[in-house]
Amino acid sequence: MAKNEHMLAVSGMTFFGQMSASSTHEIKNTLSIINESAGLLDDLSVMAQKGHPLSFERINDISKKITRQVKRTDLVVQKLNRFSHSVDHAEEIVDIEETVHFVLHLVSRLIDMQDAVFDVKAPLSPMRVTTSLFYLENAIWRAIEMACFAVQGKREIGISFGTDPKSPSIWFLMEMAKKDIMDDLFGSKKDRALLAHLDLSIEKNNENNCFGLVWPKRK
Amino acid sequence: MSEKVLLVDDEKEFLEIMSERMEARGMEVTTTESADQALSILKKKTFDAIVMDFQMPGMDGMEALKTIKNKNPELQIILLTGYATVEKTVEAMKIGATDFLEKPADIEALSGKIKKAKTEKMLIVEKQTEEKIKDILQRYSG
Repeated sequence: MAKNEHMLAVSGMTFFGQMSASSTHEIKNTLSIINESAGLLDDLSVMAQKGHPLSFERINDISKKITRQVKRTDLVVQKLNRFSHSVDHAEEIVDIEETVHFVLHLVSRLIDMQDAVFDVKAPLSPMRVTTSLFYLENAIWRAIEMACFAVQGKREIGISFGTDPKSPSIWFLMEMAKKDIMDDLFGSKKDRALLAHLDLSIEKNNENNCFGLVWPKRK
Repeated sequence: MSEKVLLVDDEKEFLEIMSERMEARGMEVTTTESADQALSILKKKTFDAIVMDFQMPGMDGMEALKTIKNKNPELQIILLTGYATVEKTVEAMKIGATDFLEKPADIEALSGKIKKAKTEKMLIVEKQTEEKIKDILQRYSG
């Protein structure tokens, strides 16, 4: 395997691993609430057998908690399933904005862990590219992760899209950004292989604290 | 005497149900949704054990563990986790975590660990007191 292909594979595996670990962690959290709810019902039933009055409102409240957590688990499983199907095709027509929203949904727990908030501004018109959906999701996640590391002060990060339909781009804007992170964006071998595979380049504007993933101009 | 426990987890519903179950087992439970808030509570109150989620927004469990152990080495911390890698477990034990429990946790196992942590804390405090007395006696006898 050529070195670049190996680095691309490592990048993809790392991404898949991170997403699986994060989603299964979310599932563990909901399962533990369901588990404790079942345990609480058990405790209440033991107490009722000993003659303590059993409140139906209490039972109803626990039942609602279980239903809420089952729905939450189902949402995590749905997004993990959709993500797993990202590798179905080597290339396909992809809506860029929709992919950004999906990645933000997929990594919502990881963003929460970073105490960051993302605000997406819709593009003027839909932007589509023919690319590998899985690796594009990987690149968007890396950009989100780097923005989380780079942002200083107010932890709000804006995402917008370029206005030139012939040269699509995704921009990450911060109020203040750490210079050392901005200077080394997508600097690792894995990240460079990822960008090369997607035919993407990085554009930076240190004065405006933003960087973009930019596709080459279409003829 | 009941065990005084500080339960730290960013899942509000988990805190509600778990604390109710722990209280039903005779424990005195204080809950909080973040490690930062836990540090503030620890300035005002003392506990036999802290049961804390390993991964939380803001300051995570590992960071909180370091800070708590630096300030109060006698405090017993049981970490709750979704999935812990061997590497992370070893790191946490080196920093001073008393024990680990994987989610979903078994309440009886957790209760056992809390009781053990309380005994451990009492032994450490006793030893600290003994050393203080020895130190005072040495100073005055010299």
